[in-house]
Amino acid sequence: MGSKVLPQALLTIPRQPNQCPTKKLVFSNVLSRRSSPLNSARDSFSRVSSTYVGSIFDPIAVAMKKRAFVVRAESNSESEAEAAEEGGAVAVEEPSEVKAEGEGEAGAEKEATLESEEAKPPRKPRIKLGDIMGILNKNAIEASEKERPVPDIRTGDIVEIKLEVPENRRRLSIYKGIVISRQNAGIHTTIRIRRIIAGIGVEIVFPLYSPNIKEIKVVKHRKVRRARLYYLREKLPRLSTFK
Amino acid sequence: MSQSNTNLLLLGNTNKKKRMGVTVMSMEAGIGVMATKLGMMSFFEPDGKVVPVTVVGFREGNIVTQIKSEATDGYDAVQVGYRRVRDKKLTKPELGHLQKAGAIPMRHLQEFRLQSIEGFESNQRLIFEELFKEGDLVDVSGTTIGKGFQGGIKRHNFKRGLMTHGSKSHRALGSIGAGTTPGRVYKGKKMPGRMGGTKRKIRKLKIVKIDNDLNVVLIKGAVPGKPGNLLRIAPAKIVGKNIPKN
Repeated sequence: MGSKVLPQALLTIPRQPNQCPTKKLVFSNVLSRRSSPLNSARDSFSRVSSTYVGSIFDPIAVAMKKRAFVVRAESNSESEAEAAEEGGAVAVEEPSEVKAEGEGEAGAEKEATLESEEAKPPRKPRIKLGDIMGILNKNAIEASEKERPVPDIRTGDIVEIKLEVPENRRRLSIYKGIVISRQNAGIHTTIRIRRIIAGIGVEIVFPLYSPNIKEIKVVKHRKVRRARLYYLREKLPRLSTFK
Repeated sequence: MSQSNTNLLLLGNTNKKKRMGVTVMSMEAGIGVMATKLGMMSFFEPDGKVVPVTVVGFREGNIVTQIKSEATDGYDAVQVGYRRVRDKKLTKPELGHLQKAGAIPMRHLQEFRLQSIEGFESNQRLIFEELFKEGDLVDVSGTTIGKGFQGGIKRHNFKRGLMTHGSKSHRALGSIGAGTTPGRVYKGKKMPGRMGGTKRKIRKLKIVKIDNDLNVVLIKGAVPGKPGNLLRIAPAKIVGKNIPKN
C-alpha cells in the first residue's frame, strides 16, 4: 500500500509520508463531493485509507493533488492539533492563512478550489445523538464550575460545606464532616458527609454542582484505604466527630 | 344494519360519521411531533430544586407528508414523517407516497388528527420551538419496555401467598373464579402473559428546557421505552382546557 504512494510523496511532501495518502483522499473527496462536511471527511479518511490506491489513478485528481495536497497536509496537521469540537469554519479558514505563508506556485489553483468552499457558510460538524448525553452533562458541569469552582474531593476528606436554604435566605448553614462516599454521575455527582451531631450519627448527601451550595472547603484529610467508608457506622462515634 | 347504512349515505354528510368510516383515532389538541428518547439526567432549577428529566432528541424528520381532509378521507388529519433513511430501506410504494409530497425518504409516518388543518401544507417542516415552549404540558406516548412472559404478581400487582407457615402457594394466582355458578372463568381474567412492549401514553409532562444548538428537549419525568425509542409528543389534553369537542 505504501509503496505505491512513495514515488509521488517523496517528490512533493518531505514529511510524514504515512499521513499523505490519507490526505489525498480527503482532497479527492472534497473535489468530487463538495457537500460533505470537511470534518467528516477528515474523520472518514482513517477508515478508507486502505482504498485510496484506486484514487491515485484518477486523472482529474492527480494534477490537483501534486500541488493542492501540500497545503492540505499542512492545514490538516495544524487543525488536527486543535480541540476536537472546533467547527468546519476553522478548517476552512486555515487554508487561507496557510496560503499567505508560502507555496506561491500552487496559489492560483488552491485559491480557486478553496474559495468556492469558503463561499458556502462554514458547516458545524453533525452532533451524533449518542454523544448528546455526554455533551449536556459536560456543559452543565462547566456552567456550574463557572459560578463556583468545585475542589477535588475524595473519600476521606474532612470538608466544610456552606449551604443556602432558599427559605432561610439570611444565613448560610454550615455542614462539616468526613466524606464517606462519592458517586460520580455527571451533573448529579454526590458526596456523603458523615458526622456525629448531638450524639446521633448523621449522614447527608450533597450534590456537588447544586446552585444552593455556596462554598466547599477541604479542611483536613484522613488516610483511608477504601472508597466507601461505610464501616464508620459500626465504629465508635469518636471516629466520626469533628468540631 | 345495512339498510340504515344506505339511508345515511342517501342523506349525505350527517353527523353519524361512525357508520361511514370508523375512525378510531382520537382527536389531538394540537399538532405534535415525533422524537427519540436519548436518556435521563438531573436538572438543577435556579432555586436549587433537582428535577429528573428525560433528554429527548430529534432526528431529521418531522415533515408533513399528507394532509387528510373531511372531503377526501372523511376526517381531518395531518400525517407527519420522521427519521430519514436510505432509499433502499423503503419499498417503492412508500417512496412514491413520500415523493408525492416532495419529502425526503422517512421511516415512520404518524397521523395527528386535528380539529382544523389550516396552515399545514405538504413538505412543511415542523419545528419544535414554534409548537411548544418551556413550561408547556405535553403527552408523550411510546412503546414500553418489553418484559416478556410474566406472572400475576409482576403483571397485575397480585399479592403473593405466605412464604412459610406451611403455605404451598407462593406466587400462584390463587382462585380464578366462583363455583358452580357461573361455572366458568370470566373473560378478561387477569392471568400471566406477555407484559410490556405496548403503546402507552404518559400525560401532562412539563417541558423543562428547550436547547436549540443541540436540538434537544428536556422533559420532566420518565417516558416509555429505552434510549433510542420513538416517541410521539403532543400537547396535553386537559379536561376543561383543550379537549377538542367531537
